[in-house]
Amino acid sequence: MSKYHHTATKERSYGKLAVAGLLTTSIGLLATAGVYAGLSATATGAEQVTSGSLNLTLTPDVGVGFTNFTGKMAPGDTDNVYVNMNNTGTLASAAGMTLAVAGAPANALTNGAVAGEGLTVTATQCSVAWTLATGACSGTATTVLATTQVSALATPTALSGIPALIAATGQVAHVQVSLGLVATETSTNGVAPGSTVQGLSTTLTYTFTEQQRTGVATNL
Amino acid sequence: MHSLTHTRACRTAATAAVLLLGVGLVPPIASAAGIGGRATGAEAVTVGTWGATASVTSMVFTTNTYQTSKITNTGSITLSAQSYSVTVSNPASGSPTFKVYQCTVAWVGNLCSGGTGTQVGTTLSKNSTTTITSTTALAAAAAVYLQVEPTSVTASTTLTLSTKVTSPAQLRAAVKTNQ
Repeated sequence: MSKYHHTATKERSYGKLAVAGLLTTSIGLLATAGVYAGLSATATGAEQVTSGSLNLTLTPDVGVGFTNFTGKMAPGDTDNVYVNMNNTGTLASAAGMTLAVAGAPANALTNGAVAGEGLTVTATQCSVAWTLATGACSGTATTVLATTQVSALATPTALSGIPALIAATGQVAHVQVSLGLVATETSTNGVAPGSTVQGLSTTLTYTFTEQQRTGVATNL
Repeated sequence: MHSLTHTRACRTAATAAVLLLGVGLVPPIASAAGIGGRATGAEAVTVGTWGATASVTSMVFTTNTYQTSKITNTGSITLSAQSYSVTVSNPASGSPTFKVYQCTVAWVGNLCSGGTGTQVGTTLSKNSTTTITSTTALAAAAAVYLQVEPTSVTASTTLTLSTKVTSPAQLRAAVKTNQ
């Protein structure tokens, strides 16, 4: 009990010292500030700032757009979907856009496990809306992504041409996204080779990303 | 209890002092990254399968009697052609030859709908392995019927049959879909 009392007394002393020190410091600072306040003048000004936004939307151009399903695809087949990319924000985008494609689950269709085989993606931009029935562009068609293996699109890949259309706000890019399948395989006695793309399924997620325009220094 | 209260007061005071000092030391939040816009879409895909099986893959000939095998498309994609790797053994005597005929219906009395059927590939000799190809389209689960017709068999000779389907050449024509 005596030991506890001694310790408690000691801690009280330290606490008092700490509080006393802080109070002394604060009083000193306030006094100093008061002296300077007496010698200074204050002027104020105001400016209004509104930050911009950068929004990229992806909607069907013609047809169903994404969220489609392609079944029993064979090598050489092509499945085209048509989407509009629109910069709906208030800021222009920088001259550069990327596309990344991820497969879930990842398998030989998407991860390059079978050399030279798997899904491929090609993207083409049309200056006007696409014609669904024929898959033709009645305006000017521009390839924005040459045929590329999905396995190579795991990391964002730069697209070409699109920035020119959607750099400014409100602009729309009409894009045909073509999904293809490459596979050279021989099945023997009804059995596929050990490494195969046959019978596999996956869901591809396409991610288009744009960046804001370069920061602007304004002198008013 | 009294002591504990004071200890808490000490901690509070010390923490406040540290925070007062710390405010001036924290750097401004980095903002050089800028903002980006992102849009995503998804599509699901399933790939078909291709291949064919033979009901009989090994035939032993001791006479010139015809033998048959049923070829079935076991994949999910229509085939435009199928190949067969045919191996003929080397018999103890004689020089037998073999011809392979195809029919779209089952053989009856060695006849294909009353006819001879369509020969696939060339005449096969003993002690050889030959790949022959049929260009008959074969829908999924559909079948064609082969008949092997030997000539000059004088000793036991074995013929083995292996089906082969290679993509994309032996699959239906590529399909382009707009959706």
